[in-house]
Amino acid sequence: MSASETSVKDASLRRRVRNGALGLGLVAVALYFGFMALLVYRSHH
Amino acid sequence: MAHAHTSDTAHHDDHHDQPATGIKRWLFATNHKDIGTMYLVFSLIMFFIGGAMAMVIRAELFQPGLQLVDPVFFNQMTTNHALIMIFGAVMPAFVGLANWMVPLQIGAPDMALPRMNNFSFWILPFAFTLLLSTLFVPGGMAAGGWTLYPPLSLQTGDSFPMLIFAIHMMGASSIMGAINVIVTIMNMRAPGMTLLKMPLFAWSWLITAYLLIAVMPVLAGAVTMLLTDHFFKTSFFNAAGGGDPVMFEHIFWFFGHPEVYIMVLPAFGIISEILPTFSRKPLFGATSMIYAIASIAFLSFIVWGHHMFADGMPVAAQLFYMMATMLIAVPTGVKVFNWTATMWRGSLSFEPPMLFAIAFLFLFSIGGFSGLMLAIVPADFQYNQTYFVVAHFHYVLVPGAIFGIMAGVYYWIPKWTGHMYNMTLAKWHFWLSAIFVNVLFFPQHFLGLAGMPRRIPDYAVQFTDWNMVSSIGGFAFGLSQILFAVVIVQCIRGGKKATAEVWEGTHPTGLEWTLPSPPPYHSFTTAPVIP
Repeated sequence: MSASETSVKDASLRRRVRNGALGLGLVAVALYFGFMALLVYRSHH
Repeated sequence: MAHAHTSDTAHHDDHHDQPATGIKRWLFATNHKDIGTMYLVFSLIMFFIGGAMAMVIRAELFQPGLQLVDPVFFNQMTTNHALIMIFGAVMPAFVGLANWMVPLQIGAPDMALPRMNNFSFWILPFAFTLLLSTLFVPGGMAAGGWTLYPPLSLQTGDSFPMLIFAIHMMGASSIMGAINVIVTIMNMRAPGMTLLKMPLFAWSWLITAYLLIAVMPVLAGAVTMLLTDHFFKTSFFNAAGGGDPVMFEHIFWFFGHPEVYIMVLPAFGIISEILPTFSRKPLFGATSMIYAIASIAFLSFIVWGHHMFADGMPVAAQLFYMMATMLIAVPTGVKVFNWTATMWRGSLSFEPPMLFAIAFLFLFSIGGFSGLMLAIVPADFQYNQTYFVVAHFHYVLVPGAIFGIMAGVYYWIPKWTGHMYNMTLAKWHFWLSAIFVNVLFFPQHFLGLAGMPRRIPDYAVQFTDWNMVSSIGGFAFGLSQILFAVVIVQCIRGGKKATAEVWEGTHPTGLEWTLPSPPPYHSFTTAPVIP
């Protein structure tokens, strides 16, 4: 742990933070590839 | 919404209370205050670099004919001025303010994901070094406009892949910053800090962060497809290969219009903090302000077509985009009404943050009104690609977004540094900025209405006088920003000690004012309890 870091020991809070971040990251990745997939589909029809 | 009882969870070690020394403090920073400071310093540097490019543009436009730079370099300046100001100055400034203030306002010990926070900041210097280094590659910087419309943008020289990679990095940084803000606000609020009790700045950032996550990947997808069109012979946007360049415009503006609100919603939040403090009254209609921000954010997704009226589209689509755009005036009107009502019969005082907030209110409204003019389809056919558009969006972004940032910095910098700043110099900065921003941009309405095209370094002689006025305003506005840097540096180095409340007698509300100035390196390690 860096000296400047505040540690959070509550496992439930850590889990919610991790899941929230992963979920939002997944949304971003899905939008990135989703839009490209939409255009690939459109360019074939 | 579940609340995090951080009182039992935030662990605090005394020997970890001090920051690391030297460069390590900044390179390996995970403290929200350090990262916020880095974002703000970075954005100030970018503000001056982007501003220098604006000075080149205004110097060339001082007189008709080609004086100082060739047309390609002129277009490189307009393109990169926009990219740097949007992605390098305005957005990082707001992320810096969020880093500093969101944990302090919600009673959290830090951002929820401090290491990702470090990463999202440190991507930016690399992204902008890459972008700025394109000045030295064969063919120079990108010159096809910040909108990167193909086929023109595909004619960019060797700088093209560097530009695309830089945009990807900026996007990744923004998305990570947005994830951090959402996760922090949803999980780290102090006990009793319900969403409706949350300060307006944190609220505005929560909504902005959702906008960022929704639209930045779309921009990334669009520029990835430009990249494959350029290097891998795909034809997403290449008409000769069966592609559709107009499709790029749709995708770009699906990102681009919410991007405008990404740059202005946090400013709404800042103004909603400042006006009540210096009016010594609670914010009028606080809940309706939250709904108004959310409505504006929703509407921002369904109006992108108004950027493309002149492309040609079915009448039904024109009507839809025109009406939807005009609808934005309703929640915006609610906000302007509430801000005005907050000041009504208040005990006003005019410290620098309040001056910038009031200027924001008047001048952003001018940008809003010219936006309504542009929303009218037949009128837009006249205004499109003229200096009227340039005047419109600069009123939204300079006395709107940038005055909002400056108001926020002047409001909170005594809290950050523990020092009051030179009020006289800050007021000089305000008055010079407020006067010359109008000298700079108001004449551009006249030039646009008279038909002067944008993105062209030369113009017909009848446009000379107002261009000279605008350029003089530009140089004076640019020079007056040096005062801003001077006030900040002086405030960091020393000055009269600021109290916890900072603005004595105004009784500002918000948890940040319960902490000493400057706040301890680790604040709210024991969560405050909100009644």
